Amino acid sequence: MDRVRTLTQAYTQAPWRRQLQILGLFLLALVSLALVAIIYLSVTTKAATVGRQIMDMQSEIEDMETSIADLETRLAELRSATTMRRRAEEMGFYPVEREEVEYLVVDGYVPRQAANLAPVPETVVAVAASLPADYTESLLDWLRLRLIPALRRLVESQP
Amino acid sequence: MKSEHIWRYTLLGTLLTVFAGSIFVRLVSIQLNPEQVNAFLQQRELYAWIPHTIQPARGLIYDRWGNVLAGNSTVYEVGIELEQVVNPHTIALASSVVLGLDYNEVYQVASQPASPQAIYRVIADLVPVDKVERLTEYAKELEELNGSSRDPERASLRGLVFHPHLQRSYPEKELASNILGFVGRNEEGELTGYFGLEANFDELLAGTPQRVLVPNDPIRAEQRPNVPPGSSLILTIDRTIQAEMERLVDRAVETYGAESGTIIIMDPESGDVLAMATTPRMDLNEYWRYGEIFRGSTPFNRAISQAYEPGSVFKVLTMAAAIDSGAVKPDTIFLDTGVFEIGGIYVYNWNRGVWGEQDMQGCMQHSLNVCLAWVASQMGNSTFYRYMEAFGLGHLTGIELYGESSGRLKVPGDRDWVDADLGTNAFGQGVAATPLQMIAAVSSLANDGKMMAPRIVRAIVDKGRQFETEQRTVGLPVRPETARIMTDMLARSLEEEASVALVDGYRVAGKTGTGEIPTAFGYTSNVTNASFVGWGPTDDPKFVVYVWLEKPSASIWGSETAAPVFAQVVERLVVLMDIPPDGVRPVIAGQ
Repeated sequence: MDRVRTLTQAYTQAPWRRQLQILGLFLLALVSLALVAIIYLSVTTKAATVGRQIMDMQSEIEDMETSIADLETRLAELRSATTMRRRAEEMGFYPVEREEVEYLVVDGYVPRQAANLAPVPETVVAVAASLPADYTESLLDWLRLRLIPALRRLVESQP
Repeated sequence: MKSEHIWRYTLLGTLLTVFAGSIFVRLVSIQLNPEQVNAFLQQRELYAWIPHTIQPARGLIYDRWGNVLAGNSTVYEVGIELEQVVNPHTIALASSVVLGLDYNEVYQVASQPASPQAIYRVIADLVPVDKVERLTEYAKELEELNGSSRDPERASLRGLVFHPHLQRSYPEKELASNILGFVGRNEEGELTGYFGLEANFDELLAGTPQRVLVPNDPIRAEQRPNVPPGSSLILTIDRTIQAEMERLVDRAVETYGAESGTIIIMDPESGDVLAMATTPRMDLNEYWRYGEIFRGSTPFNRAISQAYEPGSVFKVLTMAAAIDSGAVKPDTIFLDTGVFEIGGIYVYNWNRGVWGEQDMQGCMQHSLNVCLAWVASQMGNSTFYRYMEAFGLGHLTGIELYGESSGRLKVPGDRDWVDADLGTNAFGQGVAATPLQMIAAVSSLANDGKMMAPRIVRAIVDKGRQFETEQRTVGLPVRPETARIMTDMLARSLEEEASVALVDGYRVAGKTGTGEIPTAFGYTSNVTNASFVGWGPTDDPKFVVYVWLEKPSASIWGSETAAPVFAQVVERLVVLMDIPPDGVRPVIAGQ
């Protein structure tokens, strides 16, 4: 009996050691939890920041599109027929009369072309689907096309 | 732990347990009740997203060279966020000074207490950027002066907000206004195209708005769909020619004291309308003035919407039909006795004169009603009306503009058609046609008998691709030989008359018209419609011109009003279209 007790005492951990283990495990769990929380918080914050940036950029795109449209129209106003005529007159020009026009032949002259603001739609050419020969040729075709020339070359190469 | 404190801890523990338990019970009860679950889910969705409509930019309209005729510009909606208002007086004062709003009305709005029903109020829309910049600068100055104080005694524009949006803008203002139409708000407050191209292509230009949900939670932010702008239109109109024609039509209306004027220029080979100038016109950026400019039943575009009795210009079609059908030849002699009886009525010449023997050119040159009524009688009803229908009279031309009128061509079988109509129709009475119908019909004579449908939209740009519209042949109302005979006949008529329509260096063909105006008491001779239709150069026609002056007071005759306008038009056209004189063209072609 004494021997058993001695053995038990020998292999039983000291109470302080057990408390330390429990405390360690608890702390490990706590640290793990904190780590997960930190990682989650970090990822969430990053996602939220990126999300906010996306929203800001989308708003910026809308502003820029509005601004481009605005500038295009302002440019058109500055180049309007009335404005151009007024500016030309201010610079001393006047509309040319029929009698004042002299016609000359200029080699390579390309007359003014009507506006092309975008490419024309691509013409869709229907191409018949062509399968590789591997899928269509029969065994006999294969023998005729590959084996026979090979044999012929072999025969020809014989002295 | 002291024993006297144990009951306190026990009580606190019990209360917390009951509280936690009640939450748990509530949670379970909600989870087990689908109605409540749905209600909560709906609330979550309601507050998680803000609905937002992405309005695509309205497509632009260009002239044939790519000049913008209709674009978009930024304007602002000015509103008040009631929760943010500090000093209603400042807002009302600034709004009345800068925006011209009524002080009392704005003050009343700005003084409203904020509530779930009253969060934001609009006080002005379509405010241009310069006015918004003035208000923004003023607001900034006040903020710098007063800091973040919310003292209602201090001047502040807090609460005044500006939301930008695009608004249709017309950089050329009045130019081609009758063709373009405008964009305004309908009764439901939606932007809608009115008249012209804006109405005809409203859906295409407006594009397809897309409704998206913008998340409040930035984590759920997604890329918004790319909403393409509305389709753009490239017209056949030449901006410079259009501007010149508008200048000429305004001058003609003023010079001849006409009620209105219309000039159309068309390329006979393609059917392209190069210019369509008419009066009145309006600055499309001030579309709300439409009512004061177009009073009563004034059409927005007379060239397509106002059918009238064209008078003698119609004789061109009658004679072409007669020669083509073989009813007469150019050298057929007609003895003009000054009167012709048809269907129980008597037809007289414009001067009630007797012109004796005349060939067909003489009939056209002197514009003899008696002769043309006889010519129509030689054709007979069925042939005459078959040709007139082939010329497209009484039918829409199909131009891509809103509000086209089909005019009226009475034909045998109609309840109001009588035998006498054949005689009067022959010289353009009792038939109603729009200027566009007339020019489209006559253009066939300038294009070897081939009649092209008038076209005003050359191409449509949609999703980055340019789709050309097709040039449409309506038919071949007369043979090429007939077209050439008519061109020569009408050119010689002008030359022998030494008409004021002639232009030095260029051979042109044409015909004047003076149409009496029907009233409740019959035709009146002291107010007329003066017209001229002509084309040139006759060896290779590049343009057809139609001039119509409504009720000119300086002279009732087309030969004295519309004919000189035609000459002025051609003088400008040959320069703007780079057409060398008749004597120069063969030299250039030979080099």
